[in-house]
Amino acid sequence: MTDLMGIMVVTLMIWVGLFAYVYRLDRKVSRLED
Amino acid sequence: MSRLLVEALAVAAKDLRTEFRTRVALNALGLFALTVLAAVSYTVGPYRITAEDRPFLLAVLLWIVIFFAALAGLDRSFVKEEESHTAPLLRLAASPTAVWLGKLGFNLILIYFLMAILVPLYCILMGYKILLVGGFVLILVFGGYALAVITTIVAAIIARALTRGALFSVLSLPLLLPLLIFLIQGTAGAADGTAETVANTLRAVLSMGGVMTIVSAMLFPVVWAD
Amino acid sequence: MRVSEALKWLLLVWLAVVIIAAFFYVRPAEGFIGESSRIVFFHVPMAWIAVLAFLVSCITSVMYLKRRDPKDDIRASVSAGLGLLFAVLATTTGAVFARIMWNAYWNWDPRQTSITILLLIYAAYLALRGAIDDPERRASLSAVYAILAFVTVPFLVFVVPRIYWSLHPDTIINTRGSNEFDSRYTQVLMASLVGFTGLYVWLYTIGCRIESIRQRRRQEVL
Repeated sequence: MTDLMGIMVVTLMIWVGLFAYVYRLDRKVSRLED
Repeated sequence: MSRLLVEALAVAAKDLRTEFRTRVALNALGLFALTVLAAVSYTVGPYRITAEDRPFLLAVLLWIVIFFAALAGLDRSFVKEEESHTAPLLRLAASPTAVWLGKLGFNLILIYFLMAILVPLYCILMGYKILLVGGFVLILVFGGYALAVITTIVAAIIARALTRGALFSVLSLPLLLPLLIFLIQGTAGAADGTAETVANTLRAVLSMGGVMTIVSAMLFPVVWAD
Repeated sequence: MRVSEALKWLLLVWLAVVIIAAFFYVRPAEGFIGESSRIVFFHVPMAWIAVLAFLVSCITSVMYLKRRDPKDDIRASVSAGLGLLFAVLATTTGAVFARIMWNAYWNWDPRQTSITILLLIYAAYLALRGAIDDPERRASLSAVYAILAFVTVPFLVFVVPRIYWSLHPDTIINTRGSNEFDSRYTQVLMASLVGFTGLYVWLYTIGCRIESIRQRRRQEVL
């Protein structure tokens, strides 16, 4: 049960981290376009 | 229509004549095939593989040799035009489709020539017993055709790229892998006498060859254009 | 907040919920060892996106050959890059799954073979692009190759499995499927598919914008 919780937390962290990175990239590109 | 054929034949004949003079592709194909055959025959031979594995494993080895020999020599027809700078002349002299047909014909002759020598030698040296010889020959003929069609268009694509030799193999392999799988299955079927497998394979190889012919014919002018 | 902004935040929440649901909303499916069925929620969408990206690459390649619009070439190459990424992810998650279920990372069953060939196609496509300097020739030749590759795929997907016996479970939609997997499983799987598709679209648009900027800069220098 706790193992599963652990994997889920890691996956969530990976996803949130990835999202943050892509979001910042998106912002940067928007600034370059304007 | 007949003009197309005449031009195509002229292109093929020219290629054959130059090939005979220099023998570059023939050497590449032949040397590779015979070396591998010798190595395999010596190490594996007719006795090392058990009877039940023979149809399949010997099919695998045979087609690997054919395919890699093809990859060693079939890009020659286009690469040679670029190296000797005769490509612009060829563009003026014949229509794109005629060039494609001619080069395809040349590659077909090379492949069939290779098979005619290699396959009997292989069967003798490896003790490969084939039950459905007719089916086997058909597989060789149509498989060789599909092989030639695919390698011809890929050769045209890489002729003017930077890393030709490696790129030819890299680009051809993903396209050839499905064909290879079919041909191995079919040959194994021909060897152990399962007519159904042979029929399935022939159907698949024929449709693949047909589709690639049409698509190549349509796309070649784009590749060939300056 | 504009629509596109809202959609991005929705994507964040959507996939976060999918992840949580994959672990706690769904019971492990029958016929799978341990919790391994949970990998499917990520593995299948990745494979789906790898194929979708390939489709997009091919369609934009055809469009490029028709209209010769450089933007189509950008679209094709961006989608190919993303396709490669997702194909690698799908292959890795698939191999992990295979190890748990059948004790071997790699079996060469038809699905694994197909994804490998897709990987090889992507790698070949990108190698070809790398080997040509002239932008127009690069665009048209890679477009031709994408179309050639696309034409071989149906043979792979439909014909090879008929000839082979497969270890691969038919997880998506098959005749027995509706009995084997409960509806929660399907819900989460569908939601994951939608989420991953959204992610792909977002990454794709960003990639295209970046490439457009790069091309514009290069033009300005000239």
